[in-house]
Amino acid sequence: MIRFILLQNRQGKTRLAKYYIPLEESEKHKVEYEVHRLVVNRDPKFTNFVEFRTHKVIYRRYAGLFFSLCVDITDNELAYLESIHLFVEILDHFFSNVCELDLVFNFHKLWLWFAGFSPDEYAVLYTVQVYLILDEFILAGELQETSKKAIIERMGELEKLD
Amino acid sequence: MGSQGGFGQSKEFLDLIKSIGESRSKAEEDRIVLREVETLKLRLNDPNTPKYKLKEYIIRLLYVEMLGHDASFGYIHAVKMTHDENLLLKRSGYLAVTLFLNEDHDLIILIVNTIQKDLKSDNYLVVCAALNAVCRLINEETIPAVLPQVVELLGHQKEAVRKKAVMALHRFSQKAPGSVSHLISNFRKKLCDNDPGVMGAALCPLFDLIAADVDKYKDLVVSFVNILKQVAERRLPKSYDYHQMPAPFIQIKLLKILSLLGIDDKKASEQMYTILGDIMRKCDSTSNIGNAILYESICCISSLHPNPKLLEAAADAIAKFLKSDSNNLKYLGIDALTRLIKINPEIAEQHQLAVIDCLEDPDDTLKRKTFNLLYKMTKSSNVEVIVDRMIEYMISINDSHYKTEIASRCVELGEQFAPSNQWFIQTMNKVFEHAGDLMNAKVAHNLMKLIAEGFGEDDDTADSQLRSSAVESYLRIMGEPKLPSAFLQVICWVLGEYGIADDKYSSSYIIGKLCDVAEAHPDDDKVKAYAVTGIMKIYSFEIASGKHVDLLPECQSLIEEMLASHSTDLQQRAYELQSIFTLDAQAVKKIMPMDSTCDDIEIDKNLSFLDGYVQQAIENGAQPYIPESERLGISSISSFKSHDEHEPSTHALRFEAYELPKPSLPHNIPPVLASSTELVPVEPSYVADILHPTSAPSASDAGSSELKLRLDGVQKKWGRPTYSSPAPSSSSTNQVKVQNETPRPDSASSSKPTIHDTAYISRKQQIEISPEKQKLAASLFGGSAKSEGRHLPSQKNLKTQNHTSDTYRSSKAPAPDTAVKTSQPPPDLLDMGEPSIASSTPSVDPFKQFEGLFDFTQETTPVSTGGVHGATKDSDFTSLFADMSLSAQSHIDPNPEPNGLRGNKVKPSGNQLNKGPNLKESLEKDALVRHVGVTPSGQNPILFKDLLG
Repeated sequence: MIRFILLQNRQGKTRLAKYYIPLEESEKHKVEYEVHRLVVNRDPKFTNFVEFRTHKVIYRRYAGLFFSLCVDITDNELAYLESIHLFVEILDHFFSNVCELDLVFNFHKLWLWFAGFSPDEYAVLYTVQVYLILDEFILAGELQETSKKAIIERMGELEKLD
Repeated sequence: MGSQGGFGQSKEFLDLIKSIGESRSKAEEDRIVLREVETLKLRLNDPNTPKYKLKEYIIRLLYVEMLGHDASFGYIHAVKMTHDENLLLKRSGYLAVTLFLNEDHDLIILIVNTIQKDLKSDNYLVVCAALNAVCRLINEETIPAVLPQVVELLGHQKEAVRKKAVMALHRFSQKAPGSVSHLISNFRKKLCDNDPGVMGAALCPLFDLIAADVDKYKDLVVSFVNILKQVAERRLPKSYDYHQMPAPFIQIKLLKILSLLGIDDKKASEQMYTILGDIMRKCDSTSNIGNAILYESICCISSLHPNPKLLEAAADAIAKFLKSDSNNLKYLGIDALTRLIKINPEIAEQHQLAVIDCLEDPDDTLKRKTFNLLYKMTKSSNVEVIVDRMIEYMISINDSHYKTEIASRCVELGEQFAPSNQWFIQTMNKVFEHAGDLMNAKVAHNLMKLIAEGFGEDDDTADSQLRSSAVESYLRIMGEPKLPSAFLQVICWVLGEYGIADDKYSSSYIIGKLCDVAEAHPDDDKVKAYAVTGIMKIYSFEIASGKHVDLLPECQSLIEEMLASHSTDLQQRAYELQSIFTLDAQAVKKIMPMDSTCDDIEIDKNLSFLDGYVQQAIENGAQPYIPESERLGISSISSFKSHDEHEPSTHALRFEAYELPKPSLPHNIPPVLASSTELVPVEPSYVADILHPTSAPSASDAGSSELKLRLDGVQKKWGRPTYSSPAPSSSSTNQVKVQNETPRPDSASSSKPTIHDTAYISRKQQIEISPEKQKLAASLFGGSAKSEGRHLPSQKNLKTQNHTSDTYRSSKAPAPDTAVKTSQPPPDLLDMGEPSIASSTPSVDPFKQFEGLFDFTQETTPVSTGGVHGATKDSDFTSLFADMSLSAQSHIDPNPEPNGLRGNKVKPSGNQLNKGPNLKESLEKDALVRHVGVTPSGQNPILFKDLLG
């Protein structure tokens, strides 16, 4: 089961955080601080898995953003690593269509030039959208939909309302 | 650009994000956020704010909270937004509340109504938004409010709704399994849903349910295998493909379920072989997701009933993982290898080099996984290399959690596979040197136990070699600075026990070393206690062997320092040590038998030897025993009052315990459990009653609540001067007895009443001391004193055991003593009653009594109780033996107990000598009372408590 998902930038600022277990506000900030410290300085050649208390954190870095999933010790690391990528692919697809911008969490440098916004700041701009996509992807701590197409269609229906 | 795409962020919001992004310090960021908070407060509370603006404000509020600031003032606005008719606002409102609120937040109650309404909405998007909130916000209490609607939604025409409804039910079953237990069949039904997404969602709750009770779902094996087959054959819509693999996440979930169902089930396993083989073959090992499935298949194969072909395929896949350049894959390979070596230990040998590479990788995650593998594959041929590696790594890391784990693994492996004594001792030295303070005290006790017992083979030379190599290495190492306390305790214990065992070192040399340790650690009472007990043992051995011993000057100063210590434990130990010099060789031998840590101690819990005495007392007009429950309510209080006047300081403590004797039992029990289970069996009520007297004096000093409780019944006895003096003499025996007593849970129930009787009677006797009784007491005195002492010691022992888990030792040595003690209990009461009795005690040869005890309880018992003893004892003994053997095996008590046993024995003699003066004085002066009390009880339990406290 997924305990929480975090998007943080290199400086450790949280850009998105969703918890699937009840935690106190202070405890959340502590967790975010600890996770950032665990992942930020790891060599790219290292595994994408880190022990975190009695769980493990699976993280993946895209440009300046770290996506971290905290999962149970018995969970399949590689599968969750790929689920992060699937999530990013969905975000990518979604934002490239809707915003006519190249990519939101782009791996290209384009971002850094763009109106002075860094990719992680862009994530804040689209906070609501990112959360909504996340809610279609993960529910109650489990992957609820692994079809990219299904999620994108759902988001399309939501967009029609705007 | 931010406003493109219809998201409608204002310039204000963009500026906020930018300015925070550009802020150079945390302080600057905080200033900006605080300004934003003020703005939002004003705007949100302004009734004229347009609704479409509200949405952005809520999002800005989310941002504020994400930056670590309090946004709770705006929660209510998010809640209000969920009530809105406009779907966009409602959706944003739900999103905000799921992020802001926890399931136990007060505002949840305001949302439940809205959720109920929205679950019935015609618009499925509204229903979805509500279901998202249900998953996050509904708690155990509010489940019933939405459950019927959620169940109804399982049949909704939109697959997205059905899927979310399944997940909501899954959440309910996690939070309150009882609430949905009648709905489990729905999960089974949803496996057949037309939509793969719904089917995939149903796998989550089914996985949990199957993990909880496999047998109920064996019938689903065929279904799961079929589904997996269809998925693997690409029968699902293409949209579920990910990186060319068909629905990989669903495959992985299914594999997890199958591995649960196939554990220890040959028939189920056989149904899975074909599909597993297919999947292994079809997996694309060039993509991450393909490898994820491969890994999951290996995990599944390793938990099924073994199939050679599949195991071979798994081994091949593992080889590929380990040869990969990616650390992720190596990590999975190591993990898979760990699972597979359980079935086929040889498989690891092919990958030796790869494993070594992983072990030397700078990546800690990979390294730890590899250590885990090594730990699982350790055997006597490779233990040296592996443990050396582990220790090396242990020294290099700072993570105390992992350090502790790896240290205890080293100890475990060392105990199991040590190739030689020397290696074992050296390894343990290293482990304790670097991680001693992180380790559970039990680990240290296990080490002492191991040194005392040897490796279990009946090879005395090997055992003594182990001991002497331990002594030698400890003598070498103990001068080093900053040794962990736990390690020093082990060192002191071993030196005390075996320092002069092979005549290699002189007693004064060892004692000098022990004094040095105590001096070097003035703040560590526990180490000092271990050291002083070690010294006492050495002196005892010397005295017992008939040599003339002189107290070393440094030892003398150590004793003097400890006599004035704030710790009653140290005081008592010092008194015990002092008193040893006043005894003759034979007495010392009984008190501190050489190498007796592994001996069993037996206790007559029923105190059947007292039956005759009780009978006689009743005939003489004594009141019969009143059950504890009755006694507590009335008699205890009255007696208590009288005591208060004498001993105000202890009074408060005793009072608590006294009032509620039963409560005291639980207190005793928990500590015992913590340290060692063996000791625990001792019945608390019995112990509490008997033990209290001895422990009371020390308890008053310590002022600990635990002590007080135990003291309850005892205190009365203690209050009397006569009692205090006899107690010391008996203390040594008492300790032994206590130990014995504790182990006998079985007999306790039957024995308890008798014990109570005696205690009760003794109290009464004190009050009205008839000449006849006095005589009886005098004749029994040694015994009686002993019995009291025993009781007390037992209490103490219990305490100590709890603290240090030293019980093992005490239980072993005291066995003979216990029997003696049990026979003597009645005298205690008498002793208390009168000083004259105390004087008479000297006439009775304490040593003889000791001997009697050692020889056999039955022998001693006839004197006091007569025939009754024999009958009861026989039955008791069997139960005792069973208990004792268990306890003895499980725990070797290091220092504290040995001290207690031996120390106690010593003390009694000392006490006897001192009794005359002490008794009188103690009555008059608190200080004296305490002093006496300390020496007699002197025992470790209390001391330990102090230390621990």
